[in-house]
Amino acid sequence: MTIRRPEPSTVRWAMLVTLLFLWEFVPTTGLLPELFLPALSSTLKVLYHDWRTYFGALLVTLYEVGFAMLISCGGGILVGALIGGVMTLRNLLLPVFSSLYAVPIVILYPVFTAWFGVGSESKIAFAGIYAFFPVMLSTAAGIRTIEPHFILAARAMGATTPQLVTRVVIPASLPTVFAGLRLGGALTIIGVVVSEMLTSAAGIGYLVTLNRTILESSRVFAAILMILILAVAYFMFARALERRVVVWQAAGKQPQQARDTTATVPVTATA
Amino acid sequence: MQHVANLADRRPQPEETAIEVAGLSHVYDGPDGGVPALQDITMSVGSGRFIVVVGPSGCGKTSLLMMLAGLRAQSRGTITCYGRPIPDPDPKRVGVIFQEASLFPWLTAVENVEFPLSLRGDPKDERRRRSEAMLELVGLQGFGARYPHELSGGMKQRVSIARGLIQDPPVLLMDEPFAALDEQTRMTMGHELLRIWNATRKTVVFITHSLTEAVYLADEVLVMSARPGRIIDRIPITLPRPRTYEMMATDVFGKLRDRIWQQIRQVP
Ligand SMILES: Nc1ncnc2c1ncn2[C@@H]1O[C@H](COP(=O)(O)OP(=O)(O)OP(=O)(O)O)[C@@H](O)[C@H]1O
Ligand SMILES: [Mg+2]
Repeated sequence: MTIRRPEPSTVRWAMLVTLLFLWEFVPTTGLLPELFLPALSSTLKVLYHDWRTYFGALLVTLYEVGFAMLISCGGGILVGALIGGVMTLRNLLLPVFSSLYAVPIVILYPVFTAWFGVGSESKIAFAGIYAFFPVMLSTAAGIRTIEPHFILAARAMGATTPQLVTRVVIPASLPTVFAGLRLGGALTIIGVVVSEMLTSAAGIGYLVTLNRTILESSRVFAAILMILILAVAYFMFARALERRVVVWQAAGKQPQQARDTTATVPVTATA
Repeated sequence: MQHVANLADRRPQPEETAIEVAGLSHVYDGPDGGVPALQDITMSVGSGRFIVVVGPSGCGKTSLLMMLAGLRAQSRGTITCYGRPIPDPDPKRVGVIFQEASLFPWLTAVENVEFPLSLRGDPKDERRRRSEAMLELVGLQGFGARYPHELSGGMKQRVSIARGLIQDPPVLLMDEPFAALDEQTRMTMGHELLRIWNATRKTVVFITHSLTEAVYLADEVLVMSARPGRIIDRIPITLPRPRTYEMMATDVFGKLRDRIWQQIRQVP
């Protein structure tokens, strides 16, 4: 344990710095027209001068993401745990949900706007449901892969059924729950931004569409930058929380397991 | 070590029967009438005895152990443990130690060991004290705060044994507990187990694939046939105790191991 490979976080930061560097200097060389990629500095300038607009849009987006995550992560983990844990529910519902998952939900977005209007409600409903299925399916899969020896050992030690749930099943499924939270948050952000881009009058996604149509390239990129920051910030928050709660995985014995469960769900971004 | 002395005081009477199995058969549900796993097992284990079960892979050893532990119901036959049937797990009578490290990765070593006590709601101080005494008994004092992934394979098995011992059940069932260990650690662990057994005088039913381990540990070796598992031989191991590593080189040891090997080999 004395010799360490470079921390993945170090590598990530190095990549980020390189990317920002390229973003600033490639446009100034004239290799790319300003319209395709405005320099980082002119993008930041927009953010600086127009911070009220962008901050306001961010608040709208955050509000929508927050409520949508209640549906996608909260509901997805809850329903996934029930379906993964209770055999009759699993046999009954899993085939239905799996086939529903194959439907590209984004084509239903017009229906959502018809039902909920063009305001935040339709974004919350759409993004919530868009991210619900992958989270639910990965949680269900994770619950089912709980080491059977854990259950057996606990029963042999005299655990009652409620004790089995609280003392074994819940802690054993924490890695899966966190994998679900990471996946679900990312997909929810995608869902919200995409729906804002399609039809809306507020939010960061709306700023992207609005400025794209009037060819205000640096304003488009300012919005994109905010989305990136939002996604990365969420990821880092979820990771930090995971590290604190799932102590036994921090040292890297089984992180593959957690990663595998997310990998079984194809993440098709914008359908 | 106080606690160990307590255990030693409670040595059972030698004549007492710990486990009595009569006409036990088991068929797993499946297509074509299911999988017959065990057939007409009859055995009687005296209190304080060390019984080793060997047999080809898939012959039903683990299934038998699960039934002795009350973790699985048999199709036919009866099992009694200290005179009473065991339809459900009863940690007061039977402790189980599995092959796969079944320690909970989210608990530290000491928390794993005290888990059975926390299930029944023992006060925190009390269970922590006993848990630490158990870790000391298996030679792991000072490792209580480690998580399982921070322990070696041998250490994890020691923690498992400590967890199996802490509720102080008179019977200990062990399913290939040392199978994942290297030869050297395995021998050391076997020796350790005999020391602990000698100090606590549990009744042990121990499953293994290692014939050397079987002869080294056992009072009696039960040899099972291929599936459906029947008991085809019962070999008393007459080597004196305490057992020593030197005994393995002796003629008697070799002959006993050979007899088991012949039994297992002639199974088609
Ligand atoms: N839950 C189950 N359902 C159906 N069949 C099972 C089940 N558990 C075990 N079996 C079958 O019963 C037979 C005995 O299995 P068991 O695990 O008891 O064997 P074993 O002697 O412990 O083998 P090994 O030495 O490889 O551990 C095997 O053929 C196995 O396939
Ligand atoms: Mg087995």
